[in-house]
Amino acid sequence: MSAMSTPTAQAPPILHLSQVVGSPLRDADGGRLGKVEDLIVRLGGSGYPPITGFLVSVAGRPSFLGAERVSEIGTDGVVMRKAKLDMRHFERRPEEVLLKRDLLDRQLINVQGARLVRANEIELALVGGSWRVVGVDTGARGGLRRLLPKGLGAHIATGEFLDWAGVEPFVGHVPTVRLRVPHPKLAKLHPAQIADLVEAASRREGEEIIQAVGDDDRELEADVFEELDDQHQREFLEDRPDAQIAAILARMAPDDAADIVGELDEHRREPVLALLPVSHRIKVRALLGYDPAEAGGLMSPDFVLLRGSTSAGDALSAVRASTIAPELLSTVFVGPAEGPLEGGVPVTALLRVEPGRKLSTIVKHETPCLAPDASFEEVAREMADYNLTSIPVVDEHKQMLGVVTVDDVLEAMLPRGWRRRFGLLGED
Amino acid sequence: MAVRVPPVMRRIRSATRGRPRLPARLSPRRARIFAVLGLLGPGLIAANAGNDAGGIATYSSVGAKYGYELLWTMVLITISLALVQMLAARMGVVTGKGLAELVREEYGIRWSVFATSAVLVANTGICISDFVGIGAALGLAGVPVQVSVPLAAVGIWLIIVRGSYRSAERIFIWFTIPFFAYPIAAVLAHPHWTAVGKALVVPQLHTSSAFLVLLIATTGTTITPYMQLYLQSAVVERGVRDDELPQEEREAVAGAVFANMIATFIIIATGATLFTHGIHNVSSAAGAARALSPFAGHYAEALFGIGLLGASLLAAAILPIATSYVVSESLGYEKGIGRRRQEAPVFVNIITAMIMLGAFVAIIPGVPVISLLVGVQVVNGFLLPINLFFIWRLSRSRHVMGERHTRGLLDGTAAVTVAVTSTLSIALVVITLSSL
Repeated sequence: MSAMSTPTAQAPPILHLSQVVGSPLRDADGGRLGKVEDLIVRLGGSGYPPITGFLVSVAGRPSFLGAERVSEIGTDGVVMRKAKLDMRHFERRPEEVLLKRDLLDRQLINVQGARLVRANEIELALVGGSWRVVGVDTGARGGLRRLLPKGLGAHIATGEFLDWAGVEPFVGHVPTVRLRVPHPKLAKLHPAQIADLVEAASRREGEEIIQAVGDDDRELEADVFEELDDQHQREFLEDRPDAQIAAILARMAPDDAADIVGELDEHRREPVLALLPVSHRIKVRALLGYDPAEAGGLMSPDFVLLRGSTSAGDALSAVRASTIAPELLSTVFVGPAEGPLEGGVPVTALLRVEPGRKLSTIVKHETPCLAPDASFEEVAREMADYNLTSIPVVDEHKQMLGVVTVDDVLEAMLPRGWRRRFGLLGED
Repeated sequence: MAVRVPPVMRRIRSATRGRPRLPARLSPRRARIFAVLGLLGPGLIAANAGNDAGGIATYSSVGAKYGYELLWTMVLITISLALVQMLAARMGVVTGKGLAELVREEYGIRWSVFATSAVLVANTGICISDFVGIGAALGLAGVPVQVSVPLAAVGIWLIIVRGSYRSAERIFIWFTIPFFAYPIAAVLAHPHWTAVGKALVVPQLHTSSAFLVLLIATTGTTITPYMQLYLQSAVVERGVRDDELPQEEREAVAGAVFANMIATFIIIATGATLFTHGIHNVSSAAGAARALSPFAGHYAEALFGIGLLGASLLAAAILPIATSYVVSESLGYEKGIGRRRQEAPVFVNIITAMIMLGAFVAIIPGVPVISLLVGVQVVNGFLLPINLFFIWRLSRSRHVMGERHTRGLLDGTAAVTVAVTSTLSIALVVITLSSL
């Protein structure tokens, strides 16, 4: 199992959170002062989060104890440096969470497996001179240890250890930490995987994922929105102000943006459209005019169209210079800017011929094309018959309007319930 | 390079149309129609699963033994059930988590494992009794148990494990159609309607212990823990959005009211026939059906049998699901109806094991169904107060529910309901145990 690894090379002894919580608080001479209630940890930095303090109860009174005042942590208790008790009232500082109350038993993101797991146990170890959270136990053993009496539980080894480097906790339910802790590890995931996590998580947790992704990388946020299913797109967009929706839409491919605008409530469509950049708005508005189930609704208005007199070398430079999505560039279309489409030339064909050849000599004139009102079945059949990854859409004068790519067709063809399964079968 | 924008389209079609697979945005009028259809959902399924073999046996006994005298309790029980189901639905919508999941997060692993074990034991018992019910109902039509029960088990397993959530839900809703047999049977039995009306509003009490036991048993069988567990998990799996909350709550309430109306009709049907003809003891649901026929004709027996079959099938499907949700939620495993074994092994295995066990035990000749039901009742009696307490605490917690936490009158009513229901169910446990 790839997710299992020892926390460090020296493999320091691991301490289980459940063995520390509830253990006695002792003074330097071993005298019992009170009880450990919870451990405080600071998230947000890189590496293993350090323990910054303890929530203890002395004579029934809850108090805070800074980590610097503790000399030893073990299963038989937490030992204070000085016997003197000078304890403050606990107040959360930013990025601080309580291990037992806020993390234990709750859901976490297993970043490596791109799935949600539950923390059955939290593992601590002495790393770089201070006690830190090194990982969580997601297996049954961690849970079993906590069910058994303490003496028996101590004999149970860690089950499925998951290193903290591969874990992102949810902190949305922690009052003061809310939205302050970034989730940098999420950026390593593919947008589709993040979307799957959002769909699998509860509403609040999903919101937290999207928020974290958005704070970090607006581009990635838009990609995640493209990948979300329609129900979740609507759910997470509806509460946002128009300007924010427009900002996300502006980063999307026009066909995906049009789909989302179609999802919005009627009265919000115009205000959101009005906030889009002009060129984007025109494209989206045009696409909105088509039935989403037909070729016009599936197509993207971005494509490269060149005159027949262009040389293959120039065509390749045009592809190179173009900023549109790669799947739309697999074929270069040939024809006058205003006039009938002559056909398409795959980019691979451009690479194979000598750079001086004119496009008109290599264009495939029998390239199939579709009317904007071609049904979805027709689109799929045509692409399957001709083994195409993209197919042009033309108006009645054969003027090119857009291109339907195979990914749009696949998405619509996928049976219900399939999408969510992506990533949930992670290797771990 | 000519990256071009297409000319503005001449043929503007309505952009309101969704993708082929998707429902379009609804106009207010259509939305209203769908709101009515939305009444058919997890709330209806969950509450109606309560009218299963055990429930029908209890209601029949009530009718046979005391006629209409206990009808007034059904009114109170309905209010309690509707309230509890509504809170469960609300928690599901707001938190997006099942009850077992919330208990684990807020009260720790020990409570959640304790409650989960109780659910596992109690629900397995009820599941067995429902397969017995399926066998008994089809036995009225002359189908041997050895044929009917395995067939039903395979069918239920396929629906849960091979279907999607939506298709399973749709089939479950069809299972509730046979419930309409009871109102018809009740009408065929020619009850004294004025007496029925009076009994519904005027409380009547006896001090005999048999009366109290039956009253408590009625409460216990009508408000069962798995209903809330199933409803909340199903709402989560359905992915109900925040703004659909009122509709979901209405559905939970309507489901509870419908289920208890059916139960009331069972009491009326048996009260009008068995009670008036001096047959005061009914030992099983199938016995009740058979006992009806001399007075209400063979149609009554057939109708009663059909109702029993539908109810038992529904409960036999819901119980494994509810149980499996709870176990998977509290232990943190992958879950969901329609998941294959390799995707959610624990979830599917629990469902498979429960259906197999239920069907297997039901086939064994001479299984002491009655003592089994008594045992189940005891475990359920312990479980219900715990369950209700968690529902009450969690739904009023601002920390969990945010702005939607219950307060004021609703919270007070919930507290009273929880207290009274819990007292009754503990009393049932005590009475059952002391009579052993």
